[in-house]
Amino acid sequence: MFKLALSSFKHRWRDYLVLFSGLVMSSAIFYMFEALATNKDFLKQNSMISMIGYVFQFGSVLLTIITLVYIGYANSFLLSMRKRDYGLFMLVGARKGKIGQLIWLETLLVGILATIIGILLGTGLTTGVSHLLVQTLDLTLKHFSAWYTTAALVTLVLYVGLFLIAGLFNLIALTKTPALKLLHSNDQPNRPQLHPVRQIIEVLVGVISIGIGYWAMSHLIDLQLAGIGIALVTIVLGTYLLFNAVFVWLVVLLKRFNWAQRGLNRFTLSQLSFRIRNYTKILSIVAMLFALALGAITTGMGFHQQVPLMAQGGSAYDLSLVNPTKAQQKTVNQLKPIRQATYRYKATTKVIYYNAADFNQQPFYTTHTIGKKQMSFKLVKNNAQQLKKSFYNYQLGDLQATVNINKKAVFLSAKAYHQLKQPEMQLVVFATKDFQKHFTTFKHLTKQQAKRSVNTRIGATGGRYYGYQVFNGMYSGLEFMGFFLGVAFLAMLASCLMFKILSGAAADRQRYRMLDKLGTTRSQLKKALRQEIAVLFILPGLVGIVHVLFGLQMFKIIMVTSPYQGIWLPFGIFAILYLGYYWLTLKIYQRLVL
Amino acid sequence: MPTTPIMTVADLHKTYGKAGSKQYEALKGIDFDVQPGEFVGIMGASGSGKTTLLNMLATLDQPTSGEVTIHQQPITHLKGNQLADFRAKEIGFIFQDFNLLETMTAYENIALPLMLQNVASKKIRPAVEQVATQLGINDFLTNYPNELSGGQKQRVAAARALINEPAILFGDEPTGALDSKSARELLDMFTKINQEQAVSILLVTHDPFSASYCQRILFIKDGKIGQELRRDQLSRRDFYQQILDTLGTFEQ
Ligand SMILES: Nc1ncnc2c1ncn2[C@@H]1O[C@H](COP(=O)(O)OP(=O)(O)OP(=O)(O)O)[C@@H](O)[C@H]1O
Ligand SMILES: [Mg+2]
Repeated sequence: MFKLALSSFKHRWRDYLVLFSGLVMSSAIFYMFEALATNKDFLKQNSMISMIGYVFQFGSVLLTIITLVYIGYANSFLLSMRKRDYGLFMLVGARKGKIGQLIWLETLLVGILATIIGILLGTGLTTGVSHLLVQTLDLTLKHFSAWYTTAALVTLVLYVGLFLIAGLFNLIALTKTPALKLLHSNDQPNRPQLHPVRQIIEVLVGVISIGIGYWAMSHLIDLQLAGIGIALVTIVLGTYLLFNAVFVWLVVLLKRFNWAQRGLNRFTLSQLSFRIRNYTKILSIVAMLFALALGAITTGMGFHQQVPLMAQGGSAYDLSLVNPTKAQQKTVNQLKPIRQATYRYKATTKVIYYNAADFNQQPFYTTHTIGKKQMSFKLVKNNAQQLKKSFYNYQLGDLQATVNINKKAVFLSAKAYHQLKQPEMQLVVFATKDFQKHFTTFKHLTKQQAKRSVNTRIGATGGRYYGYQVFNGMYSGLEFMGFFLGVAFLAMLASCLMFKILSGAAADRQRYRMLDKLGTTRSQLKKALRQEIAVLFILPGLVGIVHVLFGLQMFKIIMVTSPYQGIWLPFGIFAILYLGYYWLTLKIYQRLVL
Repeated sequence: MPTTPIMTVADLHKTYGKAGSKQYEALKGIDFDVQPGEFVGIMGASGSGKTTLLNMLATLDQPTSGEVTIHQQPITHLKGNQLADFRAKEIGFIFQDFNLLETMTAYENIALPLMLQNVASKKIRPAVEQVATQLGINDFLTNYPNELSGGQKQRVAAARALINEPAILFGDEPTGALDSKSARELLDMFTKINQEQAVSILLVTHDPFSASYCQRILFIKDGKIGQELRRDQLSRRDFYQQILDTLGTFEQ
């Protein structure tokens, strides 16, 4: 008996490989997610806003739902693979109890093994991805480690639990069905039918529930955690209903057109309608994953773009130097500054005295926010008198040496200034055309200043460069979460689609062989494959994009800028990745099937 | 009768296995002609090379040497689109199983060759209905293959093979999986289309009853044609007896 089971295992190792690698991938990604979500220290450290915790709970629940469907899907694949075998065993006279044991064991074994390998792989992936992100995005991470025991436990418990249920389900499904039915259970066609009333209701309910979900996401401030729950349920449900109604309707309708009678179009439509139940499920999942991945990357990139903007909003100058050396001054000049000023000052323990004449000759620029939008600025010139009254005069203080930052600034007439006994110092401030270009020079200058300050006690530097460091530190965690999750969800999406497509390859292979025998040209076959797979990519892509556009509303709370600012960039990058992935899937499938 | 044959087979050889590895010569020089409108049977013991021969004739496999000509066209070196076009226009086949695409209804299965040729969609439905009527499967056109009996499936397969009016129809044990009643119906249908439409048929079988429907039978033994039997004016019952006798001596 065991030998029999093992022999068919050997026979179908290719299918098992698809199943197994799919499960490994899924658990690996789940672990990656949990490694962030369960790491409380990391979350606390990196979120000034408690909302981020909710967002992770949202993600956790959503991913669990997706995992549920994924495992259900993998399980039915396993079941369909084994149905014939077990039917045969029963015909040969094997006892049901014995077969039941075998099914149970097989499901659990495959499941647990895949989960353990998945967790290990997940740890490896987490290390790799986080390393890559920290390097390329210049991030600083604290309290983050690739191995997180809680995450591993959560993953293991969820998966083993699900497989226990799946095993039980298989047991009942297989032992309750008569042997003959098992033998012929593969490839039952679905007859897609038009029930106009039912489908209109489905569309209505779908659209309404998605609408409620969008509304909930944009009113997260009022609804708090409940909003996330509402959005979660309604959007998943709505997406599924919408696909269910529209997809069936589309396939049935398209068949009526003359276009459907040409070449292999009818065949492709039949392929789609034959597996329509599977396809609507997978399309909904892919649409959700697409939205999550794209949303996460867009948000991550949003945070990334925010850092230089905020730095720019904090000061009109890139850097300040106290008493620069001749060499330092030369370096500054080589940067071709667009603004530069030197202000003389004398400092007591409480007050900094400036020579007002300096400010009247070289006005000091402050940045002001315009209107309600926090990320639009204008530059304003100030002479000594204006600066004294300006609300924004703290920007001068920020540029001072650290020892002087909290001292009161007083602007004196030249005469009064010269009577002061304190030693005279110079504050040099400057701005270049693009401050992000000169980071290495700034870093060099800052280091020199820090070294000198040990002896001269003249402190460090301020300005946009300094602001950039501060904000980058603040946002790194959020950025990292965005990109990391984006990558994880994209991988999950890839494995979902790949799994779906590959699990049908064996059956499709026979069909395409037959088409070939009937005199189909190779280009026709290739075109049919392209179309079938394109449908699986395009539909969820479109829905996913819409979800993201609305979902970004959530981040209005966290982001200073509009979350929609510059989204063409992440969308573009994502489109290229997605297209590349389509191409790869197509090539693999063509190799398997043709 | 000095008509030009619809198919000629000249000195056909097939060796399985690559040079150097273990080789097996399945066909050792086969020669024969098929006249237009002829109904020819090919018989032989299991493993004698019947399927191998048919695959070669139906362009599904390439011979090691020799040539097959259908409609004056040499077919052994057709490739790519030419091969696809040839299969779609000139020949039809029915196999023992794996005949139909289970994702498509009977109607769609039958219409497929016409769609592949991009025939105007207006002409497709009448054409399908005509063959379907001829083969008595009008009532099942909206069924999926798994909703059809074995005999009905083979008739759908036959309809699909006939829809583009091929020069020659190949069958590899098409009655193999059928009970005797369904087998008889299918064979009657073959005879009918053979007589009414003058379609040439080449039928591989190991079953003497099926073979008795043919006009001429080629017996294959060890990769060669060992004997040929003509029905001429015999009744089918007598021909059947003759086949049994021949098999008795031939197999020894
Ligand atoms: N792909 C192959 N590679 C190697 N040998 C093969 C291959 N296909 C067939 N053979 C061998 O060629 C011989 C003829 O096989 P073929 O399938 O033509 O027999 P057949 O007459 O159709 O038998 P049956 O009545 O059992 O279907 C057999 O000995 C078989 O083992
Ligand atoms: Mg054979």
